[in-house]
Parts: sequence; C-alpha cells; structure tokens
Amino acid sequence: MAPATQFEAAQPPTDAVSALVFAPGASKRLLVSSWDKNVYLYEVVDGAEEANLVGTFEHRAPVLDVCFGASPDEAYTAGMDHQVKSKHAEPVRCVVYSAEHSLLVSASWDSTLHVHNTTDPSQPPLAIPLPGKPHALAASPTKLVVAMTARLVHIYDLPTLASALSSPNPQPPQPWQQRESSLKFLTRAVACMPNDAGYATSSIEGRVAVEWFEDSAESQARKYAFKCHRQAAPEEEGGGDVVYPVNALAFHPVYGTFASGGGDGTVALWDAEAKRRMRQYQKFPEAVAALGFSGDGRYLAIGVCPGFETGMEDYSGEGRTKIFIRELGETEAKGKGAK
Amino acid sequence: MGKKKRGERDFEDLKLLISHQKAKHFKCDRCGKRLNTAGGLSVHMNQVHKENLTSVENALPNRQGLDIEIFGMEGVPDDIVQQHNQRIIQNFYTAQAERQAATGNPPRGQSGGQGPAKKIKYETPEEIKKRLAEHRAKVAAQKAAGANGIPPAAAPPAEGQSPAQNASPFPPPQPGYPYATPGVPGAPPYPATQTYPPTAGAFPPGASPPPGATTAPFPLPARPPSGSAAAPPYFYNGAGGAAPPGYPVAAPSTVDELVANAARQGAGGDDIDQLIRMAEAGIKPGGAAKAGEEGAGEKKKKGTRMVYSDTEVSPEERMAMLPRYRWVEQAAA
Repeated sequence: MAPATQFEAAQPPTDAVSALVFAPGASKRLLVSSWDKNVYLYEVVDGAEEANLVGTFEHRAPVLDVCFGASPDEAYTAGMDHQVKSKHAEPVRCVVYSAEHSLLVSASWDSTLHVHNTTDPSQPPLAIPLPGKPHALAASPTKLVVAMTARLVHIYDLPTLASALSSPNPQPPQPWQQRESSLKFLTRAVACMPNDAGYATSSIEGRVAVEWFEDSAESQARKYAFKCHRQAAPEEEGGGDVVYPVNALAFHPVYGTFASGGGDGTVALWDAEAKRRMRQYQKFPEAVAALGFSGDGRYLAIGVCPGFETGMEDYSGEGRTKIFIRELGETEAKGKGAK
Repeated sequence: MGKKKRGERDFEDLKLLISHQKAKHFKCDRCGKRLNTAGGLSVHMNQVHKENLTSVENALPNRQGLDIEIFGMEGVPDDIVQQHNQRIIQNFYTAQAERQAATGNPPRGQSGGQGPAKKIKYETPEEIKKRLAEHRAKVAAQKAAGANGIPPAAAPPAEGQSPAQNASPFPPPQPGYPYATPGVPGAPPYPATQTYPPTAGAFPPGASPPPGATTAPFPLPARPPSGSAAAPPYFYNGAGGAAPPGYPVAAPSTVDELVANAARQGAGGDDIDQLIRMAEAGIKPGGAAKAGEEGAGEKKKKGTRMVYSDTEVSPEERMAMLPRYRWVEQAAA
C-alpha cells in the first residue's frame, strides 16, 4: 500500500488562494488561482514528494476561479476583471467546464450564467439570468448546480443547455429543478458526486448537506445535513462553539467519498453513503480555502490561507498562503459503503 | 477473586494471581524462566543451574519457606487463609465505622433519631394548614396579578416563589418535598436536579416533552417547535413574563404567537427538523462521530460564535471590496 504522505508545494502564491484544480485524467498538473492576480501551474512529481512550479499566468485582476478545459493544456479562469470568454458586467465568481458537453459555464455577481460552446468560439454565449448572486457552481456529468444568495439552488440539465445553445434562436432555458438550500446560511461551496447521483453543499455556518438529484420522495428523504468544522471555545470566553465556514468541498473521483475543508484549518473525509467521517487530518496552519482531488484520486491538494472573518477591515494572505499536496494511501479515501 | 499468600495482596482474578506468582516469586533469577510453583522452581534451579533454592523471592519474611507448595489459590495453608479473611472482615468494619463517623449516618438497619443522624422534618397538622392557607393566598394574588388570561390551571411553580419574582426564565429548583404540593394534585414529578442550560436552542436531553407538558405549570424554556405542529407547543406561564433569551419578543400569550415566533426562528428548528426527519426515516443521525457533534452542539449553543456570519454577502465579495483587490476597468484598459 502506498504510504500516505503530505508535502508542500514550492513557491506558493503570494496571496490568498481562490481556487485549485487538478487536470482531468491521470495528469499531475495542478492549477491554483490566487488573489495576487496570478494563476500558478504546478506539476506533482511522482514519488519525489514534491510539486514544482511550472509557470505562472498573470492576470489584470485577482483571479477567483480556474478550471481545466478539454485537455490538460487548456484552462479557463474567472476573476475580478469581468472577463471569461465573454464579458460579464461584474466580477466573475466561478467557472466550470463540462468535458461531456464541451460547455464552459461562468457565473458572475451580475447574476447571470454565461454558457459557452468551446468547440465553436465564434458562437455567442448564452446568458441565463439568475434570481440571485451566484456563490458556487459545480457540474456533474449531466447536471449543473448553482448556489446563490438567499439560499437558492438551481439545477440545470447540461444536455438541455447544450441544445439551447446550439439552437438557431437561443432562449435561456429554465432550470431543471429549483430548490431551497437545506442549509439555513449562505452557501459556501458546492460539489457534485462523480456518479451523477447528487451533490453536497456547505455553508458559512459549519454545516454540510448531501442531497440527491432524483426528485422522488425516497431520494429526497435520503438527504441529510450535519455539523462540522466547529471548535469548542475555551471556557473563559464563555464556552460554546466557534463555528467556521466550510470553504471547500471535493468529491473523490473514484470512491465517491468527499472531503470538506473549513475555516478551522482542518480537512475531513466523509463517506456520503455510510454517513460517517472517515478521517480528519491534522490541522493546517491557516484556514482551508480550496480542495481538489487529482483525476485519478491519488492526490488531494489543499489550498491554505488566512480566512476572511466578520469585521475584518483589511486582509492579506501574504506569506501565509500555502499549497499542500497529500498523496493518499490506496484505501485512505475508500468508503466502507452503506451499512 | 484470588489472593496471594506469599505476600498479602488480593487479586481480581486467578489468572492475574498466577501470572503475578510466576513473575514475582517463581521466576528463576538465573535464566528468567517462569515456573508455576516454588517446588518447580527449586527443581529447575537444581537441575539447570546446579544451585539450591533456599527461599522464595519477594515473599513476606515469614512466608519464604519452600515447604509449602502454592499454585494459584491451591495449597495455601488454612491458618493463613483464615487470618487473611479475618483481616479483610476487620478492615471492612473499621472502614464502615469510620464512614459512619464521617457522614453521620446511622448504622445500617437502625432508624434515625440517634446521635447526629439525619432528622426527618415532621409537621403538625396546624403547620400544614398554615402553609396551605399561605399558598392559597399566593395563588389568589397571582391570579389577580396575571392579567394575561392564564387559566387557573397554571398554578405558580411549587414553593410559592412566584415566577414574577423569579427573574430567571427557568424553573426554580424543585426540592423533593415529601408531600404533594397542595392545590396542584397533578403536578408532574420533576427531578430535583434537572437544570436547563440558558439557551433558546437547547432542550432537555431526550427532547420529548414531559408528561402533561401542555398544562405544565412551569415556564419551560421550550425548544423552538419545528415550525409546525409537529411538537406540542409549550405554554409559557404568562405571569412569568420572561421569554428565554433568543426570542425577539416577550413571552407570547397565545399559541398562535408562539408558533409564529417559532417559524421566525430559523436556525434552531433546523437541526431538530433534521433530526426528526432522520428519525422518521429510520436513519440514525449520522455516524457515532457526527451524532456526538450534533449533541454537543445542541447543548452548548449559548456561546456559539460564527467566524463569518454575513448571510447575504460572501467573503469573496467582501474581499473584492477592499482597495487591495479592487479592479477598475479604466485602469486596466
């Protein structure tokens, strides 16, 4: 069994991490977008326990999200400069690429989604108005989940989006499902199950919910939520709990288990089926901002930087931002399955 | 139970005793071999090391002899067993006497009333009548004071400490009176030691309303009902006028108001909803770890502090507003 090791990437970003993503497939490429206006490309060296900086791509403004395109040589970024492949009116929060449908979807604080067909760059993007500001976006093989303010969650059907985009007179399609988040607080992250069955959301109030796409009573009865990423406050501060936001969620591409990363600087592995926590890793020096499994599930990248907290007047992740890469043991992320 | 006769120690079980014997007394100090008995060790010493064993190691001075063969509890001379038992019995009585002296409890089987023993309070019929009269007067006064139309069934909490005087929204401790409180024949039996954490979200362990909760005369800090009629709402004692902290308004006087309040109260009901839903679906609330977390969180919600609490604006938006990260299109163009 491969040993579980953890190492730190050389030359981390100079400011907070906004997103982090491994290239699809067995590629060892890791892209990290940062508030320091750069996107960093790292390559994990097999067996050497190191990740080297291959290149940086400077942007005009802080970069808020990054995703790979059709190949490990292609990537899309979204950021404060309103620009993806098309122009949004406000900073672009998230960008997601669906390899199955060759669609690039971006979500902006101007409360729209832009859907691009990457195979035909000349085609104008399809803009879909949203009822609220989007905060998180995730795609499964056939679904797209958008989490917005006011606890709104819209689920779009990707094939529908693709056909709407290619029709001669594109009309913004209606969401496949409209839901209210099962969490009472602002949604922080969304991740879809690789088996296309459901998704997980997390909120600023130390909680994660797992839901299923299927709109049947049985499937909906299966959904659940649980608390996590909390710490007991010391008695002298009045006791109680300190509740951290759950900043990042990522599903393991092979086992379907998922990792959550919180403002408390911990990463936990959960078995969504058995509803169990499998592991909780040692605390990181700062809050966990982003998580990503590699395409083959062998590595888990963890972006760590100070968390933005209520009442902060200024913020800088300078010098405190780090990228950790954990090489997982063979069964480390494997769930035991439902009881 | 086992005892050891080379020394004076008691062992919980025979296995332990034997391994003690083998390690302490019957171990060959030349090669470390552990024998079962003194005789066995003697023979081993003779044959292997060509030495004569003269005494048993680590034994009490008068028990070092090789003449008695002890294995476990077998072979222990009668007189020693008797001595030992006697010693234990004596120790027990000494300890009991000491304890009685320390606590002032009467010896077992004897009634109280002797020496410093506990006194049971007896009340004469006159005293009881006087107390009853006092109590009735208080009830009447309260009825007059409670303008919120509280049904008379809602008698004040026992002991006559009126909720109005009682600033705390929690029931006063209920000392176990040896008699039923007059005037409240059906008062639900409350455990004397039950305390409620001062939080709106908390509820007594078990989460099920106590028997007769709907007519309970105590201002219970009700957990927020789950936004529906799923749980019978608690009545507040209107005279108490104290809402648990967390409720934005004063004590609601009607059920409707209460339900409305509960509906406004989002977060607290959420967990419970979740728990109830899961319970209905026959799902145990998460794994052991998760259940633990849920439980712990419920109980001490008092100091819960969210590191980031803005439910409308995300941390990223806040960061984007900082001059450090702001991006102006003209500047870049």
